[in-house]
Amino acid sequence: MAKSDSLQGSLDLLVLKILLRRPALHGYAIMSAIKEWSEDVLRAEEGTLYPALHRMEESGWIRAKWVTKESGRRARVYELTEAGKEQLAAEETRWHAVTSAVNRVLRMV
Amino acid sequence: MSFWSRITNAFAADSLSREIDEEMRAHIADALEDGRDPAEARRAFGPALLRREESRDFRLAGWLDSLLRDFRRGIVSLRREPGFAIAVVGVLALGIGANTAMFSVLNAVLLKPLPFPAPERLATLDESENATTRYGASALNFVDWKRLSTSFEALAAYTPTSAAVMVEGEPERWVGARVSADFFRVFGAKAQLGRTFGIGEDQPGAARVVLLTYAVWQERLGGATDVLGRDLIIDGQPHRIIGVLSPGWFDRDETAFWVPLVFTPAELTRESMWLNVTGRLRDGVSLQQARQEMGRVATELTSVNPPWKKGWTVTVDEFGRNIVGRRLRQSIYVAFGAVVMVLLIACSNVTNLLLSRGATRQKEMAVRAALGASRSRLIGQLLTESLAVCVLGGAVGVAFAWLLLRAVLSAKSVALPPTAEVGLDLPVLAFTGAIVVLVSLLIGIVPSLRISRGGLNVSLSQGTRGSSGSHAMLRRAIVAGEVAVSMVLLCGALLMLRSLVRLQSVDAGVRVENLITARTELPVAAYPTAESAVRFSQAVVERLQASAVVEHAAVASDVPLEGVVETEIFLTPHYDHHYNVSLKHVDENYFRTLGIPVVSGRGFGERDRKGAPRVIVVNQALATMLSEVLGGGASVGRIVHISVGDYVRTGAELADVEVVGVIRNERVASLQDPERPVAYAPMAQQPIRWIKLLVRTRGDLSAAMRDVRGAVRQLDPRLPLSAMRTMAEVKERSLTGTTQSTWAIGVFAGVAALLAAFGLYGVLAQTVTQQRREIGIRMALGAPSGGIVAGVVRSAAAMVAVGLGVGFGAAVAVTRLMRSLLFQVSPLDPVVFAAAAVSMMLVGLLAVFLPARRAARVDPVATLRDEG
Repeated sequence: MAKSDSLQGSLDLLVLKILLRRPALHGYAIMSAIKEWSEDVLRAEEGTLYPALHRMEESGWIRAKWVTKESGRRARVYELTEAGKEQLAAEETRWHAVTSAVNRVLRMV
Repeated sequence: MSFWSRITNAFAADSLSREIDEEMRAHIADALEDGRDPAEARRAFGPALLRREESRDFRLAGWLDSLLRDFRRGIVSLRREPGFAIAVVGVLALGIGANTAMFSVLNAVLLKPLPFPAPERLATLDESENATTRYGASALNFVDWKRLSTSFEALAAYTPTSAAVMVEGEPERWVGARVSADFFRVFGAKAQLGRTFGIGEDQPGAARVVLLTYAVWQERLGGATDVLGRDLIIDGQPHRIIGVLSPGWFDRDETAFWVPLVFTPAELTRESMWLNVTGRLRDGVSLQQARQEMGRVATELTSVNPPWKKGWTVTVDEFGRNIVGRRLRQSIYVAFGAVVMVLLIACSNVTNLLLSRGATRQKEMAVRAALGASRSRLIGQLLTESLAVCVLGGAVGVAFAWLLLRAVLSAKSVALPPTAEVGLDLPVLAFTGAIVVLVSLLIGIVPSLRISRGGLNVSLSQGTRGSSGSHAMLRRAIVAGEVAVSMVLLCGALLMLRSLVRLQSVDAGVRVENLITARTELPVAAYPTAESAVRFSQAVVERLQASAVVEHAAVASDVPLEGVVETEIFLTPHYDHHYNVSLKHVDENYFRTLGIPVVSGRGFGERDRKGAPRVIVVNQALATMLSEVLGGGASVGRIVHISVGDYVRTGAELADVEVVGVIRNERVASLQDPERPVAYAPMAQQPIRWIKLLVRTRGDLSAAMRDVRGAVRQLDPRLPLSAMRTMAEVKERSLTGTTQSTWAIGVFAGVAALLAAFGLYGVLAQTVTQQRREIGIRMALGAPSGGIVAGVVRSAAAMVAVGLGVGFGAAVAVTRLMRSLLFQVSPLDPVVFAAAAVSMMLVGLLAVFLPARRAARVDPVATLRDEG
C-alpha cells in the first residue's frame, strides 16, 4: 500500500506540466511519466488519472485526439491548450505559494 | 466546455463511452507490455469503471442517459422473450386500462367541477317543510322570491314539458323545457347562433319564441344556419326560432327545445310546487348569507301562503348536490374499489413473473456487480426495466380503456348524470401516468431488492439447480394474497348478483306478461279542453278493445316502475295531517288491465264522470297511513283533501274527494324503493295530456303493437306515439343501474379470479420444473406417481387455504361498505361467502391440473440422464 495515490491535489499540476514538456502523450505514458520523473515516489492510479484527464478535458485545459501508433493500435493522446497553459501557470504559482508557506511553518517549529 | 457541447455530449454518450472503453483497453495493453501483472492492471480499473459512471453524472442529462439505456435494455430483454412480454404487458394493460376507464368515470361524475362558469355560485332553492325535504317551488312564491331577495344575480325557474313538434310534416314527440327568461344567465350559457331569451320574453303577451339545443339543430334540422327566424310548430302553435345553444351539457339529456315560462293565471298559486328554481349568487355573497336572507323572505311570505305550509322555509343548496344520486356515487366507489383490487392482483402476477426470472437475472447482476456496479445502480436498472414494462402496459391500457369507454358509453342506457363528460382527458391521463409509476415501483421493488442482493457466490453456487428457496416462499405468499383479494371481489360480486336476483323476483304488483305500454301527448291546440282529452282516451280504449288480440286496454298517466309524474299534497279529513302522495290518473279499465286487485271498496266505473262527486282510490300504503290518523278506522267512504290541477296545468286548487276504494300496492317507481303512498284519480274527472296506453294482449305482442299504432293513427294521424315497450322491458330497464354495476363487478371479479389462477399455475408449474430431478429420483426409488401428484396438490391447497382465510377476513370487513347497494341481502350472507370459497377452490383445481399432470409424467430415466 506504500505507493497508493499520494498526489494530494497536485495531480492536475503534474499532468499539465508533463504535457507542457512532452506533447501528445496517452494516459499510460502520463502515468509512467509521473512515476519516472518523481523517481518512483509519486504514483497516479488509473482510477484517479482517467477521471482527472476527462475532467480537465471538459474544463478545456487539455484536448484529446486519436492517433495510430507504430504497433497499429489506436491511442488517445492528450495535448495542452492555451487555457491549459494559463491554468498551469496559475497552478504553479499557487503550488509555490502553498509549499513555501508550509516550509515557513516547518522552519519555525 | 460549452453549453452546446454538453448537450451534444448527453446525446453522444454512447460513442463517448465506446471511446473510453477503447482507451482503457489500450491502457491495459501498454501495462502488459511493461510487464505489469495483467490482473493487477485490470483491478485498478474496477474503481475506474465506477468513476466513469460518476464522471458521466457531471454531464447534463447524464442520469437521463443511463435511464434511457436501462429503459432500452428493458425493452430489448422483453423482445428476447415475447411470451413473457405478452403476458406481463397484457396483464398490466388489463389492470391499468380498467383503472383508467373507471377513473375517467369517477372524475367526470364526482370530481370535475360542473361545466358552467363559476359553478360554486349556483344554488338550488326549494320550499321545504324541514331540513330534509325539498319540494320545488310554487309559481307565486317563486315570483315573490325574485322580488324580495337581493342575494342573487339571477334567479330562474325551470319545468320540463313535452310537445308534438312538426318535423317535415310529421308529428314527433319532443321533450323540452319551459324556463324563465333569466335561466341561461344563471348558467352562463351562450347561444351558438342567434340569442337566448331576453328580459320580458317570459311575460304574458310576449311573442312565441323557441331556443333549440345544438344536438337537435344538428341532427334534426341539418345544422342549417337559416333556421333563425323560421317558425317551429309546437303543439300546433308556430314558435319563432331565435337561437341555438352552444354545444355542451345542454345536449346531454333529452331536452330538445326551450320555451319561455309564461305563467297562465291558473298556474299562479302558492299551493302546487312544480318549479325547479336555480339562482346565481352575487359575487361575494355566500351560501350562508343567501340562506339567512331566504329564511327572512320565507317568514315574510307565511301570511300569504296556505295554512298547511305553516312553519315551512326556503332551503338554499349548493347546485349539483343532488345531481349525483347516493346510489350512483356508491356504485362508482365500489366499482373503483374493484378495479383497484384487479390492479393489485395484476401487479402481484407480474411481480411473480419477474421473480420467476430472478434466477437467470441474478447471474447477470452478479457479473455486473463484480465489474464494479453498485447495488443502488443495479436496483436503479431493474426498476427502470420494470418502468419500461409498465409504460408499455400503460400505453396498451389507455387504448384498452378507450375501447372500453366507447363500448360501454355508447350503450345509451348507462345511467350517468348529463353533466358528466366522460373521456380520456388530461387529468385522467395524468392519473394513468401516476399509476404507471406507482405500479412500476410496486412490481419492481421486491424483485430488484431480491435479485440485486447476494453476491457472486450465491448465484454461482445455485448453478444449474436453479431453485431459490426464499424466492419460492415469497412467491407463494404473493399467490396467497392474490387468492385473498379475488375472494373479496368474488364475495362482492356474488352479493350484488344475489341482490339482483332478489330484486328481479320482487312482485311488481301488476301482471307483467303480455302487457304493452306506449306513450303519447295531446297537443293543447288540438285538444284544448278536458272534454276533448276524455273523448280521446275513451275512443282509443274502445278501438283497442275491439281488436281480437287485445284482452284489455287502459289509459293512465304513468306506467308502473317508471315513476309518477305528479306529486300532490294530501290532507286527512280534519286537515290535521298532510302527506306528499304520488297522484296517478287512470281510467276505469286500469286496475283490471294491470291485474291489480281491489282490496276494499271499489275501483272506478262509468259513474265517476265529470260533474259526479269527486272520488279517489288509494293504495294500501296510503290507506295504512290514513287509518293510523283515523284511529284504526276504514279509509273507504272518508272525505279527504287533495290538491288537483286543471287540465292545462296541474295543481290549482284543494278539492274534497271521497275515498271509494283501496287497491293492492303496485310498484310505481322501482322495485327496490319502499312502497310509497299513491292516490288514483279517475281520468274522466281529471284528464291529463300526457297519456300512457296499457294493452293486455292475448299472446301475440307484435300484432297487438300494430293494432295500438293503427288505433292511434285512425283517431289522430298527427299524434306522436313513442316508447312502445312490453312491460317486461320496462321492468328490465328499471333495473338497468343495478344490472350494470352487478355486471361490472362480476366481470372484475371473474378477471381477478382468472389472474389468481394464472399466478397459482405459474408458481406450481415452476416448482414442478425445478423439482423434476428430485421427482425423478423419488420415482426411480419407487415412489408412486399418486404420491407425487398429492405433493403438488398439497402445495396448491396450502396457498389457496391461506388465501381463503385472509380473504374471508378481508371480505367481512369490506362487504359492509356495500350495504346500501344491496337489496334484502346481508353483506355477510353465508351462502355468498360459501359460494365464493367454493369458486376459489375450483379456480385452484383448475390451476393445479396441468402442473400435477406434468409431475406425474416425469420420466425418471430422462431426468437422471440430463443430470449425468
